[in-house]
Parts: sequence; structure tokens; C-alpha cells
Amino acid sequence: MNRLIGTAIAVEARKLVASRVARYATVLVVGGIAVMTASIAAAADAGNEQILAQLGDLADEDGWSRLAGIAIQITSAAGLLGFGVVMAFVVGREFADGTISGLFALPVARAAIAAAKLIVVLVWTAGVAVCLVIAIVATGVILGNGVPGTDATDGLARLFVLTVLSGPLAVPSAWAATLGRGLLPGITVTIGIIASAQILVVVGAGAWYPAAAPALWAIDPPSVSAAQLGQVLVVTTAFGIATTRSWARLQLDR
Amino acid sequence: MGECRLSVRGLCRVFPGGAGLHETDLDVDEGEVHALVGLNGAGKTTLMRLLLGMLRPDSGTVRICGHDLCTADPTIWARVGHLVEHPLAYPELDCRANMTVAARLQGVPTAQVAAVVDAAIEELDLAAYEHVRAAVLSSGNRQRLGLATALAHDPDLIVLDEPTNALDPRGVIVLRELLLARSRHGTGVLVSSHHLDEVARIADRITVINHGRAIGSLDPAGTDIERAFFAMVHAADEACRP
Repeated sequence: MNRLIGTAIAVEARKLVASRVARYATVLVVGGIAVMTASIAAAADAGNEQILAQLGDLADEDGWSRLAGIAIQITSAAGLLGFGVVMAFVVGREFADGTISGLFALPVARAAIAAAKLIVVLVWTAGVAVCLVIAIVATGVILGNGVPGTDATDGLARLFVLTVLSGPLAVPSAWAATLGRGLLPGITVTIGIIASAQILVVVGAGAWYPAAAPALWAIDPPSVSAAQLGQVLVVTTAFGIATTRSWARLQLDR
Repeated sequence: MGECRLSVRGLCRVFPGGAGLHETDLDVDEGEVHALVGLNGAGKTTLMRLLLGMLRPDSGTVRICGHDLCTADPTIWARVGHLVEHPLAYPELDCRANMTVAARLQGVPTAQVAAVVDAAIEELDLAAYEHVRAAVLSSGNRQRLGLATALAHDPDLIVLDEPTNALDPRGVIVLRELLLARSRHGTGVLVSSHHLDEVARIADRITVINHGRAIGSLDPAGTDIERAFFAMVHAADEACRP
């Protein structure tokens, strides 16, 4: 696993920085969430009854608290979708483009290349999280919430943590892209994770579902325990190991 | 006698349905160009995939520069360059960036990467495309880039599957001169091709693959190599008929 992992990370980082998919995903996740948040917050501030009804408990909040709450609600699904697509691309494109054959018979181990892909995407998601928080702060200032003070810090911090934790939730799509030899299986798994999380939240079992726990914690921290939140780490590790092992044992037999 | 760059003994991998590679032996010596010829589906690519670790054999051994394939460490893989089927060329990167990425993966020390890439650009005549993204290259220039990424680190063993695919006549000559120059300096070359006349110009040894078996050799200096090839394949097919 350690066989030239540093080299693999440098190579994967260069590829990700140059890729249009990652660039577009960054703009869509950050810009899209900011625009949707601004639209809903502005409508709520204007007293739109339909929007206020949809916001539930957030309708009783105002200012930074409501703005961060709206951003968290949107990020819980949109963030994971964006990160899952990029994860599926980073892994699946090697099969789709045929470059996978060039990743055999190298001093750098394939397991190290797979691990580097996961690491680079997770670092990118952390960068997206920073950009998203900055975009939401700018949105709040534009909407007239004033300079964010201590009242804004809590909500923005939860938004940051949720976004960072959404990256690891996309790791199963890397494994799916490996097993399915392409992008589509990874994207399909991402959509499946989002849909199943929504269903389990509705039936009340969301906190024990790793894909739903970070969002539920970000919305209402006391409703999710540390053990439930810790499942994200377990799932990420398990699927990360599965992905690197699959790459190590890979054969081009289909 | 020089080092045996590649040694294959009793290599076998059979796919469901019976196709694949059967009990194949093969050597590539230091400074030798060894060509594989065969019809489509004969097993040339399967053989190359097996000896590069892209497939695991059912039985048999592969030794690269004297080391078993299964236990080869990074220093051994750094001595191998290959292009099997698709070039290692990422569409979003330009030619220089692609070669830089490949050189790093092939274990070239960071301080030497720029010089290695410069040499490969000159050797494959890619200066005009140095800062052009691979996505907009013609298939011939993309193949040339793939050859550059495979060979830039000056490997001791080169494995190329149909390397003249999509190359224009000039590209074919560039590749021919490159392989001959490398072999003169001790590199072992295993190359597959459909072009018997091209193979005859560069190969020291020609092995015919048919239905997953090495069925014989052709004399590169022979007067009618095409006739000899089809006679050998026909005889092998006849011998297999019940």
C-alpha cells in the first residue's frame, strides 16, 4: 500500500486539478447551493407562505440561523450528489478511457493509485466545504443579515462539518465504479445512497444510517449520538479498503 | 551472453469457452527485437496482458529481467515500458503533462523528469504538440503520445501491442528507428503486429501465434514471409481439425 503513495497522490492531484468535471462540480456544488439557499431565504424573508410551510421549524428562525439551516438542508443531498459524481469519475474514467492498462506494470502500486484517488477527492471536498461556507457568508451579507457574529458561527460550522463528512460518504461509489468498470455504476450507487437516506429519515431510522447521520446531526445535533456519527468513519474505512484491494487484485478480463 | 529480459514458460490462461493462451514459451534477450504475429483473436494481446500482470495465469511462469513476475518490486517495474491497447494519455492534460505524469509513475526521480520528457518529445517528434491537450490530438498523434509515455523512462524491456496502429508512414519510420536504436543499446523488445513486412524490417525473431499457441517461427530474412505465415497457420488449423 505504501509503494510510492506520495507519487500517486501528486499524479492524481494534477489530474483532478486539470479535469473539467471537478471544476464544474465545484462551481455547481458551491454556486448551486448558494443560489438555492439565497432564493429560499429571500422568499422566506418576504413572507412567502408556501416556502415557510416547507421550512418547518426553520420558519420560526431568522437571520443567519435560518440561512445556515436552509444551506444544511440543501447540502445534505446536493453535496453528496456532487461528490459522488466526482468520485465515480476519478475512478471510473480509467476504465472508460482505457487508461487502466497503462496503470499496470509500474513501480507505483495500483493499490497506492486507488488510495491516492480517494485521498485527493477527500481533500477536494474539504476545499469545497471552505468555499461553500464563504459563499453562504457572502449570501447572508448580500441578503442583509449583516456581518456574521457568534450567532452565525454555530450554523456555519455545522454546514462545514456536514460538507466535509459528505466526501467520505461518496467512497462506496469508488468501489462500485471499480467493480462495474466505469462511471455509471458509481453514479448509480451515489443516487441510491441519497434516495435510501431520504427514505430511512422519513421512517425514523436515519440516525443509524451512515449516509443520513451527518445531515441529521447538522440539522439537530442532540438527535444524533457520537456512535451514530462515527459510523461514517467505519463505512469510509471499509469501502476504502475494499476499493484499494479491488485495485490491487484487478484483472483486465472483461 | 546478455541478460534475458523476458522469459515465459508454460504460460496458460483459458477463458470460459476455451479461448485464451495455452502452454506458451517465449524469450526476449538483451538487445533483441522479438515480434509476435497472428490473426485477430490469436492470443497476442492475452499473452502481453499475462506477462504484464493484467491477467493472472492459470499456470506457468513469467520472469522479467530475471525476477519472477509475482514478486517483482518497483525497481523491476521501473525497467519495463509498455503500450497495450490504449495509450496512457489523459484527455484533459497536454502532451508534456501526460509525459510528466507517466514518467513519475514509472519511477523517474522528480529532478530528472523534465529532461526525460524533453528527450521523449524530441525522440517521438512531438514538439509541435507539446502544449496541446490529448483530447484534441488526432488518433495517430495520440498513439505517438502513448508511445512517448511508455518509452520515456528508457526501459530495459519494451512491450508494444500493435504499436503502428493509427500511425502515419512518418510515424511508423520514427517508431522503427527508435526501436532499432533502443535494441542496439541492449533493450529487449516484444512487439505484436499485423504488418508482416514491417515486422520483417525490425525483428530478430518472429513467433507465430495461432489459437492461443505459439505454433512456430518465421525467418525475418525470408523471401516470402507472408506465404510462409499463412502456410504455417493453415497447417496448424488442419492439424486441429478432427
